[in-house]
Amino acid sequence: MLHKRIWQFLLIYILGLGFLFGLKYLLGLSDYVIPGPMEIYQTARYNSGRYLVDTANTLSVAFVGHLLAILLASLISIIGRLPNLAGAMIKTAAYNLQAYPIVAVAPIIFILLGDGLTSRLLIAAMICYFPLLLSFIGILTTPVPDIEHFYITTKRMRWQLEVKIRAFENITKLTTVIAGSATLAMVGTIIAEFIGADAGIGYSLRISLYQSDIGKVLVALFFIGIFNSLYLATLEGVGYFIQKKLGISREG
Amino acid sequence: MLLQCSELSFQFPQAENPLFSGLNCQLPSPGFHGLFGLSGVGKSTLAKIIAGDLNGFSGKVSRDDLNAVLYSSNLERLPGWSSVVDHIAKVIPSDRRSGMAELVESFGLRDYLDSRFSQLSLGQKNRANLTRYLLQDFDLLVMDESLANVDEATRELIILKIKELFPDKYFLYISHSVQEVSKFCDTILVLRTFEKTPQIIDVAGCNYRQGGKLDKKCLEQTMLEIVNAS
Repeated sequence: MLHKRIWQFLLIYILGLGFLFGLKYLLGLSDYVIPGPMEIYQTARYNSGRYLVDTANTLSVAFVGHLLAILLASLISIIGRLPNLAGAMIKTAAYNLQAYPIVAVAPIIFILLGDGLTSRLLIAAMICYFPLLLSFIGILTTPVPDIEHFYITTKRMRWQLEVKIRAFENITKLTTVIAGSATLAMVGTIIAEFIGADAGIGYSLRISLYQSDIGKVLVALFFIGIFNSLYLATLEGVGYFIQKKLGISREG
Repeated sequence: MLLQCSELSFQFPQAENPLFSGLNCQLPSPGFHGLFGLSGVGKSTLAKIIAGDLNGFSGKVSRDDLNAVLYSSNLERLPGWSSVVDHIAKVIPSDRRSGMAELVESFGLRDYLDSRFSQLSLGQKNRANLTRYLLQDFDLLVMDESLANVDEATRELIILKIKELFPDKYFLYISHSVQEVSKFCDTILVLRTFEKTPQIIDVAGCNYRQGGKLDKKCLEQTMLEIVNAS
């Protein structure tokens, strides 16, 4: 049985296709503007193999970028939770920097680092980093007094324990945030590829755009949706497994 | 050793009236003492001030050589990532292992030690929490409704065990049961609203111990005094 994420995507994709076909036949648009079902099928047959590899390439970059963002956000929020100057500065910087659209600096990254893997990775990580950081800081700066009191009063509290308690108490929230930011990592990678990279499904989309080939775009979107749904489903599965292992009920 | 509060005044920032106004109280000697009062009168707040968990008051709290004052309550939880026994074992000095076994047995926790804290009943949770506090180095332990949700018979067993094992320590037991504090406590501090003077009245309890004989007349007299005072 397919995961609910894939069902959700398929439903949206089919509705989207239906809308396009509806528009095509209602307004009498040519196959050049919106190709017919048979033409899309033919495009899918000829391009699926390449797009499959391209999307897997994009997903692998998104995955590594996402992982980097999670690690960096964890590190910065651990420092940012401190009730001192360093903590206050990090929090202020995080809240202000996240207001700036990171995508806008992508061209600078490509100019400085070229159109290779590093630029794609960096943009993917940057796009999902700030939402992760804000959530992590929020979680790690909020005390859990009914658990922490004992350790504070018996002078056993260490920063590692404090982080562990707060992360554990918010594990459901953390897994939701991580799964949610996975889509952002995928979006970031595709945008990076679309803007200036020379590989990945974003790059293929750019070529399709230059060719004004909606059929190819639709096939690429199909693979992006399937891969993204699989990634989300995997992350949610891992989160569920961890929570089950730790004896945390889904109700919290 | 002596615990003394002198001219203690405290008001919550948003409150219209003070909670304490020139409050005086003392516990002159170690023992199982009680803190009784109607709901909302400030028992937990006073206990937190005594334990040093709450600031922003005026007046003085003298603890003499009571170095380790701990505050435990029924609202506390153990972390949920491992079993109750793992947590307790990690937070007690190695020389208290035998003490842990005795407390676990007396508190009726033996069969639940391998469970996660979230899997325990409310009464079991409170007993597990109290166990880890009793295994710490302390001179005074505040037990703020620490035995809530525990049945009467088990509560009696636990209190008697505590009195037997820790005769040289101070305990401040907060409970809403007049009969319980009257029966087991040495001195009962009856806390009243700030309009009443004095705000705390000391009542001598029956201080019932294991193997002792409960004087019914003493119990009735103490209960009456507490009810009248509060």
